[in-house]
Order: sequence, then structure tokens, then C-alpha cells
Amino acid sequence: MRRSRPLLGTYVEVCAEGLPEAMMERAIDAAFGAVELVHKLMSFHDLQSDVTSLNRRAAIEPVEIHPWTAHVIRRALALFHATGGLFDCAIGAELVRWELLPDHGFAGLQSGRLSALRFVGRNRIVFDAPVAIDLGGIAKGFAVDRAIATLRRHGVRTAVVNAGGDLRVMGREGHPIYIRDPINPSLIRHAGVLRNGSIATSSAAQTRKITGGTEVSALVCAARHEPLVERNAYSVIAPTCTVADALTKVLAQVRTGDAAYFGRFGATALITVPCRNESRAA
Amino acid sequence: MRWTPIAAVPAALVITVPAKATVYLTTEQAQRAIFPGASFASAGRPGVWRVSSGGYFIVDRVVGKHEYITYAIGINPNGTVRQIEILQYNESYGYEVREASWRAQFVGKSASSTLQLNADIKNISGATLSSKHITDGVKRVLNMYEANLKGGR
Repeated sequence: MRRSRPLLGTYVEVCAEGLPEAMMERAIDAAFGAVELVHKLMSFHDLQSDVTSLNRRAAIEPVEIHPWTAHVIRRALALFHATGGLFDCAIGAELVRWELLPDHGFAGLQSGRLSALRFVGRNRIVFDAPVAIDLGGIAKGFAVDRAIATLRRHGVRTAVVNAGGDLRVMGREGHPIYIRDPINPSLIRHAGVLRNGSIATSSAAQTRKITGGTEVSALVCAARHEPLVERNAYSVIAPTCTVADALTKVLAQVRTGDAAYFGRFGATALITVPCRNESRAA
Repeated sequence: MRWTPIAAVPAALVITVPAKATVYLTTEQAQRAIFPGASFASAGRPGVWRVSSGGYFIVDRVVGKHEYITYAIGINPNGTVRQIEILQYNESYGYEVREASWRAQFVGKSASSTLQLNADIKNISGATLSSKHITDGVKRVLNMYEANLKGGR
């Protein structure tokens, strides 16, 4: 059974087999429910989301958030430290300035690092500076992982969840994986076969635009707080989609899979150079 | 996890995305999925049904740069969106296998199964596809609901 709904700003597809029809419908519905909850909690756009509450108030007072949001932020902090600060979600100020994200009337918003964020309770957070976080670089992967976990809880053993290009496969079978060309989306390449794992891809080509006479994108160089504008597609294969999604943002900066943290997270890096050139293992 | 890469990925393996017409649900299946147990009566406009349990079921189509999508939207009696389901997703590219070397991977499949390549190529990773066209389409449908359908009749 294969279903698709527009969520997380993209098309989320759930493909699963092995249960009777009515049970499968309930399982897939619950999987979409999990994705929808992630969307509601972690959208930068939504005024009611945890992310907006944090960005508006955490520099003033502790903000209580949903356990899932707290979990994603803990993963983000672990990745921030493991990558020497290259995975940094505190890029809200840049993305607002570059008009890639909406300004919800943030007061005195500053560029900063994720190290400005502190847990002061199990699900309570304060910011030591008026930074803004954007979980766009990790929440989609987390949503895919939650959808897979939900399907498994309903008894599904074979499934693929694909959130607009970030995907996870579950089951004994290997699935052929294709990577889309970053410039010409009508071209794809067969990259390999994946079993029980995830792949995510990021490219500046998708969000590139001109703001105030400068070329910007949603991929940010953490060290210089500048947009990355070159056009390769950066893919990471990892056991969970949360890690795969997050590490694509790191790979886009370091452009090589040599760093020890890729191995530590069980990740493989793959860089796709636009059409007519070659895709290479990084 | 097990990842088996294609040993080296030569340019020859670049292929054109098939003109995928992925059908997720028929109109009737979507009606049952969004409003279980209800019956549906035409509301006098194409693609618009009044639901016996209250609310409306509307089928709409949006055209993007690289795709066109048919989707269904269920509207609750109070005018809020109940559920959105994609019925059919078409990538507007011509079906073409570009390179003979790629075709070789499918040696052993019969000629008739070649057409089913459409179904086989589904796990595509890439920079996120935007669903902005659906967002715009839903706004347009809700405006139409406010102007023409709200309040019954």
C-alpha cells in the first residue's frame, strides 16, 4: 500500500506491505500522524510551534517543549559537538536575514551558535543569547524515523518512508536507491542498494536565490555564517534518517567523507556533481 | 543497515526519470479514507461532493514546474481542513532510458515488464521537493469553499 500527503513543506510518501488492508490503513494513517506532529512542533513558519516559542522567548525565560522536540535538540547538540560545531541549527538569524524564513517579529535577533542553548530541565530550554534555531536540517529526518517506528509498532516489517528525498527503508529486502541530479531534476543516478537504513540529500541548488544583490541558500557555512552556493548534491547514508539528514549539512561544508565522525555515526558520504560529471564516493 | 554502492558510478548510469504516474488512491478510495462510512452527493460543481456526515470532499489539480498532482481535500462542517491525500503524482518528464549500460541492469525482465520500470524506480533521494503548489492549491480551494459552499446549499 502506497500513500502520499503534503507535509513538512514537501511530499511525504509511505509505502508498506505485509498487513491486511484495514490494518495497514490504520498503520499508515498513524505514521502520517507522527509526521504531522513533528511538522506542528518543529516548523519555523508556524507561530504555534515549539521552535517559534523557543525563538521568541527562550532568551527571556525557560521554555517548556514537547519531549520529541527536546529529543531532536539533544541529537542536534550531540551532532554539534561531534562535528566541531559544523552541524549548527542556530542559523535562524541568517535565514531570516536572507529572506528564506519568515521574521515573526523577533526582537534583537543575533547570529550565534547552538552552544547558546541550554537545557534547564528535562524538556525546558533557555538561550544565553537572542539566537534563533531552525530544525529544518534535522527534523525531516526525525519525522521519517518516527514514521518508520510507528509502522513497526503496528506490526509492519517492510516499508519505505520518503519525505521529499530523505528516505528510510525497513525490511529484509535491499532497495535500489537513486540520487537526483542537483541541477537537472529529470536526471537520476542509480547509487546503490540499501537495506534497513536511510539516505538524505541536500543541495544549495534547491534554495538558491538572490537577496539584496547577493546569492544565498539555506545551506550555511557554520564557521563564517555565509551561505553555501555551489551546486553539488550531498548525500549521507546512515542507520537513521535523523543522522543522515543532519550530516548532509556537514558534508556540504567539508566536501569529503574522511572525518572520523562519519564513521562514528555509521555514515557513508556520497557527493553528486551535476550532470555530465560523475558521482563519487566522498 | 547494509549499503551496497554501485562500484563506481560512471556518468553512463545517468538516466532520465520516467514519466512517473504514481497513483495512490482513486477518488472513491480517498472518499472512504477521509470520510469513513459517509455517502457523497455531487454539489453541482465538477470535483465537489457534499458529505452525508457534513462537510465537503473536493478533488483538485495543481501544476508545478516539474510535476502535476491530483489531490483530494476533506473539509469539516466547520470549514477546517480534515485531511489532504495525494491521488496521483505525475512527473512531467518523457519516459526514456538514456544509456544502454543502464538498460543492462534489467536483463532478464521481459519486454512487457520494461514498462513497469516506472514502478521500480521509486526510491529517489534528492534535495527536498517543495510542495508549495499544493499549499497554494489548498488556499484556492478554501477560498472557493468560503465564497460558494459555506453554509450548505
